[in-house]
Amino acid sequence: MNLTSRCAVRIGSALALLALLAFAQLPARADDRLALQVGGKTVVLTHVRAQGAARAVAADDAGVQALLAAIGATLTWQPGERYVLFTTAEPVVISFAIGDPRYDVGPVKQTAPFAPFLLNGHPYIPLDELVHALDFAIKADGSQLILQPQLASLDLQASDTGAKLVAHAGIPLDARVSAYAGNKIVITFPGVGSMLPSSRMTAGPVQRIDVRTQGTVRQPQTQVTLVLAPGVSHGPGATDDQRDFTMAFNSAAGSAAAQPVAQAAPSEAAETAPPPPAATLPAPAPVQVTGVQTQPQNGSVLIRIAVSGNTTYEWHRLRPPDNRLWLDVHNARLAIPPQSQPGSDPVSAIRVHQENPDTVRVALSLSGFDTVDVTPNAAGVLINVGATVADQTTAARAGSGTIGTAAVADASSAPDAWKFSPRPTDAPYVPANPRLIVIDPGHGGSDPGSYRGDVVEKTLTLDISKRLRDILVARGWQVIMTRDDDRDVYAPNDSAHDELQARDDIANHNGARLLLSVHVNAFMNAGPHGATVYYYKPGDLALAQAVDKRIAAELSLKNDGIVKDKLYVVHHASMPAALVETAFISNPDDRALLQSPQWRQQMAQALADGIEDFAGTAPPASGTSGQ
Amino acid sequence: MLAVAAGVSWYFASHQRSPIGANITVYYTKDDGTSEVPWTVSMRPQQAGESASEHLNNAVLYAATQAVAGPPSSVSAVRFPPGTHVLRANVNDSTATVDLSEEVKNQTGGVLSESGAFKSLVWTLTALPGINQVAVRVQGQTLSTLPGGHLELDEPLRRSDW
Repeated sequence: MNLTSRCAVRIGSALALLALLAFAQLPARADDRLALQVGGKTVVLTHVRAQGAARAVAADDAGVQALLAAIGATLTWQPGERYVLFTTAEPVVISFAIGDPRYDVGPVKQTAPFAPFLLNGHPYIPLDELVHALDFAIKADGSQLILQPQLASLDLQASDTGAKLVAHAGIPLDARVSAYAGNKIVITFPGVGSMLPSSRMTAGPVQRIDVRTQGTVRQPQTQVTLVLAPGVSHGPGATDDQRDFTMAFNSAAGSAAAQPVAQAAPSEAAETAPPPPAATLPAPAPVQVTGVQTQPQNGSVLIRIAVSGNTTYEWHRLRPPDNRLWLDVHNARLAIPPQSQPGSDPVSAIRVHQENPDTVRVALSLSGFDTVDVTPNAAGVLINVGATVADQTTAARAGSGTIGTAAVADASSAPDAWKFSPRPTDAPYVPANPRLIVIDPGHGGSDPGSYRGDVVEKTLTLDISKRLRDILVARGWQVIMTRDDDRDVYAPNDSAHDELQARDDIANHNGARLLLSVHVNAFMNAGPHGATVYYYKPGDLALAQAVDKRIAAELSLKNDGIVKDKLYVVHHASMPAALVETAFISNPDDRALLQSPQWRQQMAQALADGIEDFAGTAPPASGTSGQ
Repeated sequence: MLAVAAGVSWYFASHQRSPIGANITVYYTKDDGTSEVPWTVSMRPQQAGESASEHLNNAVLYAATQAVAGPPSSVSAVRFPPGTHVLRANVNDSTATVDLSEEVKNQTGGVLSESGAFKSLVWTLTALPGINQVAVRVQGQTLSTLPGGHLELDEPLRRSDW
């Protein structure tokens, strides 16, 4: 064989091999590749198949994942599953199912040209329908394919004053607004094409909408021209939540929407009188009235009568014009000097004296027949005089009750065997150390909690907790803090479980009377504000209520009340426990309060008062000393 | 006789109709952090070859995906951290287990956001027939709470937890 023929044979073999390779490919048609320009980057879809005139793509294709990531969408699908779900950034859920041509885009049912199918374990779904549902379109620019964001909807929604236009696209919308004569407005959206009808007539403040796309495939812009009805004014237009563009139309022309001026409630002068010293001797009959405090708040007045021990009381009031009210504490001695002093509206005067050898009387002169709420608790009695006028025909004019009871009675010593044994869940809790309160400053160390700028939850909770500790210790309580500096309670970078359980363990192993966890709330926007007290176990409720009531009464702050929630630190505390979210770090007004040392002191004071409303005054020390 | 009975019971077991209707109710939590607001989404009918139990699984998956997505952005609602999505969901007796993507760990602190988001998920899934509690996984793992979080996640959550 000569050289030429040898070459021919070789070439022939090579050709045959190529032909064989080509033939081998034929029975199992390969997937196509599709390169897409997505925001300046190239994304290659490798599992694309023609399906009649339509295109199918494997939902789990790496290119599809890259595309979804680029536009803030996600895929929910597992091998073997029938449902293929996408969540867009809007968010809208797009739902496909293997074998069903129906697909859903949010609330809208649609039909695809073919039913999604499984091939080699991959779920193939209609490509163009998916892209369209994501508010994009595939457009050709020469030989390249571009994923072009689309203006997907222009909704006119009725509003109180007229109408609101909401424009939505596959990307967050930016807009330029120009006004022209003839009551015409042109809104230009750069970077988006449109799949909307070019023109439509509407009723109401906007009479006509025209949509026109200009520019190139890569740099489109869509102009929306609105023709307004005579006399209709429009707002400036804004992008809300960094996504949709909205513009308000006002049928009543010329009435500029005035923003209501947010006004912080004036903070009343703090009551600086030191708390009455807690009785440290076992109280034999008679009991002692150890203090009477007056706290004005937002037009009403709270009078706190501190009583050491168990006794009874009664109160009476007179009808107008003699608006006097008196409350007698029975079997009691006045342990403070008698008082006679002016009050603050609606209480015009307050007198405290030993009425007879067995009775201490607190007498109030009221400005009118004001609403009065008399509430006994373990620590004494609260009289809340409201600013509103009570109904003379139905309002109570007398009452009686018992002071002390449950909380102080718990001070009896508990069997030592209890201390480390599991507690039957429905048995009443008996503290091994009824004088001990555990305060848990939320977060700390490697866990900052929530923060805005340099205002950090773990620092605020520690500060409030230290102030609370000092007040409680001054009132005769023993206090353990789960942390008293900036650190993790269990270990740095520990698990949430270890960290929270370590805090519960401190309270559980020491047999504390109660656990209070101090936190600062946060939300994704600045709206929510105020204080919330969380509880979970039935035994937590009374503590949460008492603390919440004091926060509501003593602080100029919105009260969001008590909320049941399965919070770990509350659930796993054996004793009554509550978690107080003192204020929102995410709300500017609340954040300003949190940054005020005076406010944090007031919060600590309210927490201490709430604790004592629940637990009574500190039981006498028995061998153990306070911190 | 026994074979006929077995055959009949097989027939009914495999052709059992799902109790799930044409619509399912999804809840979101208002930004007060506690109020649940229902909305309705259309549910794909049980398909040929899809057993009643698979249809319930799919309904749980779909409802969970809707609840985690939340209502349109124009609605002020408590939401999971951006990017959080359902990886998988299944049903075991009366417990729905939902596996969430790790973005759920990106919570920025505060009981209100964290708890409100899970509350909407639990309310949504326990609205489905036969579901009364929801076990939460994150990337396949059971967590006591989210990192730096508050809400207890190591036991299934029920409506009565709030």
